Amino acid sequence: MKRKAVSRISLGLSLALLSTALSGCTFGFASDPDDPNEAVKEETIDTSVDTFQYDSSLEGTQITLLNTKAEIQVALEKVGAVFEERSGVHVEVMPVTDGDSPYTKMVSLYNSGNPPTLSILDTTDVIALAQEKAADLSEEAWIAEAEGYLTEVNGKVYSLPLCIEGRGIIYNKTVIEETLGEPFDPASISTLEEFEALLKRLAAAGMERPLSLAKEDWSLGAHQLQYIYETYDGTSEGAREVIEQIKAGELDLAGYDRLNEFLNAFDILKQYNVSAKDPLGADYDEMAIDLADGKTALWFNGNWAWPNLAEAGAETEDEYGFLPYFLNNDPTDFANQMIQGSPSKQVMLDGQMATEKQQAAAKEFLNWLVYSEIGQQMLARTCNIIPPFQNNPYEPADPLSRDIYEKVHQGMAFNASAIVPNDHWAILGAAMQKYLAGRSDRQELTESIQAYWDEQ
Amino acid sequence: MKSKSNGKDFCIFALPGLFCFLAVLIVPFLYGVYLTLTDWNGVSQEKNFTGLKNFAAVMRDGQFWSSLLLTFKYVIFVVVIVNVLAFGIAWLLTRGMKGQNFFRAGFFTPNLIGGIVLGYIWQFVFSRVFVSIGEATGWSMFEASWLSDPGKAFAALVLVSVWQLSGYMILIYVAGFMGLSEDVMEAASIDGAAGLVKLKNIIMPLMMSSITICLFLTLSRAFMVYDVNLSLTGGAPYGTTEMAAMHVYEKAFTSRQFGVGQAEALILFVITACISGLQVYLTKRKEVEA
Amino acid sequence: MAQTQVGGNRKKAGNLLSFLILIAVFIAFMFPFVMVVINSLKQKRDIIKSPFSWLFTIKGLSFDNFVKAFTQMDFLNAFMNSLIVTVSSTVLVTVLASMLAYYIVRHKNKLSQVMFALMVASMIIPFQAIMIPLVSIYGGTLNILNHRLTLIFMHTGFSMAMSVFMFHGFINGNIPIALEEAAYIDGCTHVQTYFGIVFPLLKPIISTMVILNALAFWNDFLLPSLVLTDKKLLTLPLSTYSFYGTYSADYGTIMAGLLLCVIPILVLYVVLQKQIINGVVAGAVK
Repeated sequence: MKRKAVSRISLGLSLALLSTALSGCTFGFASDPDDPNEAVKEETIDTSVDTFQYDSSLEGTQITLLNTKAEIQVALEKVGAVFEERSGVHVEVMPVTDGDSPYTKMVSLYNSGNPPTLSILDTTDVIALAQEKAADLSEEAWIAEAEGYLTEVNGKVYSLPLCIEGRGIIYNKTVIEETLGEPFDPASISTLEEFEALLKRLAAAGMERPLSLAKEDWSLGAHQLQYIYETYDGTSEGAREVIEQIKAGELDLAGYDRLNEFLNAFDILKQYNVSAKDPLGADYDEMAIDLADGKTALWFNGNWAWPNLAEAGAETEDEYGFLPYFLNNDPTDFANQMIQGSPSKQVMLDGQMATEKQQAAAKEFLNWLVYSEIGQQMLARTCNIIPPFQNNPYEPADPLSRDIYEKVHQGMAFNASAIVPNDHWAILGAAMQKYLAGRSDRQELTESIQAYWDEQ
Repeated sequence: MKSKSNGKDFCIFALPGLFCFLAVLIVPFLYGVYLTLTDWNGVSQEKNFTGLKNFAAVMRDGQFWSSLLLTFKYVIFVVVIVNVLAFGIAWLLTRGMKGQNFFRAGFFTPNLIGGIVLGYIWQFVFSRVFVSIGEATGWSMFEASWLSDPGKAFAALVLVSVWQLSGYMILIYVAGFMGLSEDVMEAASIDGAAGLVKLKNIIMPLMMSSITICLFLTLSRAFMVYDVNLSLTGGAPYGTTEMAAMHVYEKAFTSRQFGVGQAEALILFVITACISGLQVYLTKRKEVEA
Repeated sequence: MAQTQVGGNRKKAGNLLSFLILIAVFIAFMFPFVMVVINSLKQKRDIIKSPFSWLFTIKGLSFDNFVKAFTQMDFLNAFMNSLIVTVSSTVLVTVLASMLAYYIVRHKNKLSQVMFALMVASMIIPFQAIMIPLVSIYGGTLNILNHRLTLIFMHTGFSMAMSVFMFHGFINGNIPIALEEAAYIDGCTHVQTYFGIVFPLLKPIISTMVILNALAFWNDFLLPSLVLTDKKLLTLPLSTYSFYGTYSADYGTIMAGLLLCVIPILVLYVVLQKQIINGVVAGAVK
């Protein structure tokens, strides 16, 4: 009977697909040496020297580490395995999965009576949870190594800053040079006018719209809009101060220079946006490919974009770097000289449910990351992050992180992070989307920002 | 069953299932209702009784009410389209057509794709496939991504929900048609005007229990829409497609007003319960017993 | 299986028309799934740049994604976990819900009405609203999270209402009480009557519910992610976590992982389809 035959065929097909999938055979040109996706290089770690003093009484202790930085999940598992090999402490790395926000996961874990010993959180989450849940880390030795990157809650340190992240306008040097037919020196640009001139020349040279602008609310609401707080004077205190003023209604946003300057700059980015025709239809993954391929030369983003660029075919030897988010035409303004770079993820230790022994083991793990030769390497190489610790001699491998690293060490980065309520990026990100799409004007956007802060 | 052994029957037949249901669903729900009356933020160890303060905050949350209005609009579209489509397809698929098993397996596939993959595939369809159709044909309708325009993004949400829910409802309608006897099925396979009359007078009443179930399921699922909303539009463009359930979740966990979010969830529940209760009452009356 | 193959030209034309409509809708329905299959064989760059391109013109078509998904997911272990949880929950909910529904249909008293109304209403409770209370009670107070049994129990509880609702509709409309009365006269107990006579007649609805419930359990993400944290216990959907990044995801591997997850369900569906048809034949003896 026909229907039986059909069902047999579909069953057979499914099984065939299953079995080929399981046997894992490969055909086609998967191993083509030109394939840009081939062989993501594994950084090797030198484990021959290890002078770290392990506390043998902690052997056999089990601790958990909640990871909210999904892209380093596999790397962290490796770090945990190496640490266990050396210290005898088992570190279980728990992921935050698709659809969960870090905070939601923390809420559910605390409610289930099974919170992680250590958790990697955003600064706002640490501030929300620290006083009630976290162990005081103010007495730890690594405090001295992370000078300037610590987050204090009521005068105490509750978290270890895990990495420095920076953002700005990413350029692809090779593409700019090929398009303009002349050498490109990023340091030659120090005002918004000069930046606009660069865009104009790129456009004249045939690259009509040389810049990618993400439509995502986290990019617009957090990474872009927060410049108006962070460039107040380039410090976290300044950002806090200006936010207090906006909240209290003491600062007239319409007359606030940094907001107007930010929008002037944003308008220029908007104009040269590769998807200016339909800015809200832009695709994040495509931006990386466009930049790597040379369809565009610039992309507003941060050093976390490297894995995307690498997947799109960029090599670590390629010349990528950051331009500042130019705000005005004053070449002496720090905002036109420096890029923003500040600690972004914090490791908090649970002080409520974790046993003494677990806390001690967790502290040992943190010390190991900061002080041991292996831990230092693994942080910089395996996880490919920029550690904020002065004693860590290892430079990051990819060009974006290396640029941030160098700028931080040359004093060409300003360390300001605005602490805003957790829904800031979502709510004002939507307002920014509306402005990006040309469906609202400056006045409406300014009013939305004021209205948001009035409610806080 | 005879009524004298009612207690024993209850223990054997009803109690085990009832226990699971109460323990897993009702008890946490009641605890959740209690939480709406406190100022608990989700993590702190203190809970203070605050009465109806959270509900007062809900009243002031204009975003919630506008998301609720949008949800109503969405529910109407989805419920009507899904049920007409699924009923029609299920009918075609139970008429003894050649290869109907193959078709049924195909209509089942929307059930298999969820979460981020669902969002990604459909985003791709609306932002890229549609735009390339627009470029090829010059139709202004496909000029820009559907997801960057509030009206079209809403239409996209309805479309994807129809796709996803129909797959499920087809299954139930197919089971309903299969439960009908041979003579009724034969009547169903007659075409033309006579067929339509028979469809209305003979088949529809017999299918009423399936219709009740499908209407109820589409109604409640459409009111609770969250996954599709989150993965397809995430409320974009600029928050215009944020439905009630998503707003509730954002309120509780992104804005971190746990009690207010919980109270909004309760209000959403009561509204949905009233509407679908009314629907079940109305359609149940039309069911015929065997 | 009797099918009506007789009829004139008009019927043939009608058949053709409905067949064409069906094909059009069918293609629209299948499209996303086909996209998943095609793109699971490609590298991320090709997925983004040319998701449509036909398989064999693309450089780098391979089963690499499947190999990667298979190893990173710890597939066999996760598969066994999913299998245990899904099979136990499905069997449990099928038996318990059909019995409960049968009780409600045959005992039309206040208690039944209240139970039924409560269940119908409960289906509208948004899961997000009870998620935190649920973990507080089962984790914070009872401390029984992180066990398979707890997950099975919760799956059973959560799908109870809808299953009862579906069984209720079917029993109400399709199971004549006369059969049972005959059995009682022959001296059967209620339990014997139920499993000997009523339960086999439920085959079509059982097949449907097994598919729907098994699908829901197999693919569920949110509940297992709240209950299970121990790596050894993770189910298939949970084990794909490492393919997701904060800003972007590894689409090729995700799609390969998705296919690895859903193939067993597709197989179950194809197998059960036959059962649905057989069930109808058995049920048609009225």
